[in-house]
Amino acid sequence: MRAIADPPALRCAGLTVRFGERTALNDVSLTVRPGEFVALAGPNGSGKTTLLRAVLGFLVPDSGWTELFGRPTTDLSVLARAREVAWVPQSESPRDSVRLYDYVLYGRFPYHRALDAETAEDHAIARRTLHEVGLADRAEDGILSLSGGERQRAVLARALAQTTPLLLLDEPTSHLDIAHQLDLFTRVRALSRERTVAVVAAIHDLNLAARFAERIVVLSRGRIVADGPPASVLSVDLLARVWGVAADLRQDPRSGIPYLIPHHLLTDPTPVPGAREGGPVHVVGGGGTASPFLRRFTEAGYLVSTGILPLLDTDAETAEALSLPTAIEAPFAPLGDAARERNRTLLNEARAVVVAPFPVGPSNLANLEDLKPFVSRVPVFLAVPPTIAGRDFTGGKAASVYAELLAGGAEEVVGVEGALRALGRREGGVSATDTTAPAIATSSPER
Amino acid sequence: MVTSSAPPRPAPRVSRSVVIGLSIGAIAVLVFVLSPLLGSVSVPPRDVFQILLHQLSGGALFAQPCAGTPVSPRLCGAYEVIVWQLYLPEILLALIVGAALGISGGALQGVFRNPLADPFLLGISSGGTIGAAIIYVYQFEVARADLFLPLFAFLGSVTTGLVILGIARGRFSSVETLLLAGVALANLLSAILSLVLLYNPVGSEQVTFWLLGGLGLASWTIDGIAFGAIVVLATLLSLHGRELNLIQLGNDIAQSAGVDARRVRLRLILLASMATAIAVAFTGIIGFVGLVSPHIVRRLVGSDYRIVLPGAAVVGAIFLLGARDVSYLVFPGSLLPIGIFTAFAGVPFFLYLLYRQRQSSTMGLP
Repeated sequence: MRAIADPPALRCAGLTVRFGERTALNDVSLTVRPGEFVALAGPNGSGKTTLLRAVLGFLVPDSGWTELFGRPTTDLSVLARAREVAWVPQSESPRDSVRLYDYVLYGRFPYHRALDAETAEDHAIARRTLHEVGLADRAEDGILSLSGGERQRAVLARALAQTTPLLLLDEPTSHLDIAHQLDLFTRVRALSRERTVAVVAAIHDLNLAARFAERIVVLSRGRIVADGPPASVLSVDLLARVWGVAADLRQDPRSGIPYLIPHHLLTDPTPVPGAREGGPVHVVGGGGTASPFLRRFTEAGYLVSTGILPLLDTDAETAEALSLPTAIEAPFAPLGDAARERNRTLLNEARAVVVAPFPVGPSNLANLEDLKPFVSRVPVFLAVPPTIAGRDFTGGKAASVYAELLAGGAEEVVGVEGALRALGRREGGVSATDTTAPAIATSSPER
Repeated sequence: MVTSSAPPRPAPRVSRSVVIGLSIGAIAVLVFVLSPLLGSVSVPPRDVFQILLHQLSGGALFAQPCAGTPVSPRLCGAYEVIVWQLYLPEILLALIVGAALGISGGALQGVFRNPLADPFLLGISSGGTIGAAIIYVYQFEVARADLFLPLFAFLGSVTTGLVILGIARGRFSSVETLLLAGVALANLLSAILSLVLLYNPVGSEQVTFWLLGGLGLASWTIDGIAFGAIVVLATLLSLHGRELNLIQLGNDIAQSAGVDARRVRLRLILLASMATAIAVAFTGIIGFVGLVSPHIVRRLVGSDYRIVLPGAAVVGAIFLLGARDVSYLVFPGSLLPIGIFTAFAGVPFFLYLLYRQRQSSTMGLP
């Protein structure tokens, strides 16, 4: 058992690795305590794997040094190092179907001499590790007959059989499904705690890293840019700076662990040219009918506003998640003056109005009526199906307002894509979905 | 064809290995019994065994080797020389060289993680032939040509091995580049050899011996030298089974588990080159033994290199001796180069192995 005062499991300082012109690691210093579970995160090519490989001695750093449990790695032979640190690669594909049990025994190599047979201890450790990774019943099977998830656990078992106090994992679950990801990391964390094994795992998925690691170290372009417990490392700002991804930060209510919901690349150009210029597109809906329009128009790059929606309505939640300006009314109440005033303000700023096929009742009929003054000023699109006849719960009042809007210049469109295309056409812009149709029309006579 | 959907389980190990062991043993016994009866001269079987027992017992048994057979004492004396001075050294040399080629092939296939690696493919054998050819080109007059020629062949092979080693030491050399470099080297060497033979038609007949391979140089002296060297080299090679097992998983993984992959690679290439050099020195180029033997062992007992290496030596020895016997059976009394027969036997068998392997991989059988 190692005490706190023991030397760190891993310490590296000023580690720099260059591949020709490219600097893969730039002055990286890192200390990992015995028994600590550290996740290495960072985009592809940020140096995670390079750092692990340098620690393992697969490559010689251009400058800097590494210590394992207080001993410089340059003083350690390959064999001695294998007794201090074990490695689980991203995937390992043996060509021959070695018996799983023999494969796990390979992990005992650092403790053998050339002619020695395996000792009783070796066999005990092999059996124990197979049990720990949940493959005890597959011991006699060939390794190639295992499934992907089982094989990765077999690789873990082989590394664990080295009984090292430090374990390095290089994206060990990148080929695995969600259940196997959770399974593998749960086992690794349990073993790390039971035996005080320090774990350094390169993990792509920040949320997965936050879930299992005590500490997350974020690499970007070969440098450490963040280092600390998940709660302090995970941030919207970090994802924007390092990955260039816009995200929301939430907290898992059961575990208190923060998680990020990534939604788009910050560098994304707006899919519809000119969508950002001009006012928002105002979407009228309710009961979830507006949500697909809100999402799709936001995704296409338009500014979007919406209203009037009852609080706690599905559409209201969508609008909140997308941070859209929204006119809100209390649930189950008729639309009040304050909300209607707010809605009119939004309508005044709008470049166009899209009316989702929402069910119209007495309480929300005002949503349609308030559009009348705008029909002549901005394009108004009435989305179907279903047609107004199927969702009119006002005894025909809604249908007559609808007819009035159509007569005043509103246009009926089919679905979300129909609305998007109609808007692009009306504004003279060429939307992404529109370009294909004329291209085919002009090219077909030539064939 | 009915295939079960359950995951394949390796057959029970004990019964399978017993069957395999017995069948290999049976083939070995058959080959051993048959071998002294076959040769360039036909000697009556009974006389052969009496002569062998006479010699092996130091004259205690069958004081008159040909007693009880209708063979005159003078003819018996000739038979004695043929069996004891000609056949037996030839048989032993076949065993020794077969073992050397088998274990070299096994080690190289392990080091290169490629089932096609063998001493011939990498040019190690061709290097030996060039070494021998140099003697003729410069027309060295040497007192003991029977030892001097093999020495040059040995040097040629080892030099080729060292060149491959030099490439292997390069910092960025991967297993694939190394293998391709070996193949390129082999081609270069055979081009050089063709050139040498073109400008030196007189020596070409002797050089052809190395090119085609044969047991004609066999003698007790040569057997002794070869045996001593091969026992040492084969023992050293066999000690690396565990390392080779791990290297099969990739050099990085091997290294993370404590195998100094680079050093082991260099050491094994050197040892395998030397073992091949011994073989080439005394018998010239004998193809396919090094390629096929490890495959047979792997198919029979699995891929554990602790077994594959000594196993390939045993199978190689039996294979080459069998090829000698077959050559005498097919063409009695002839002195056909044995390399031709190993190719005739080896190539179809190798293709069959590949076919089986393909079939098993598509059917998911172990």
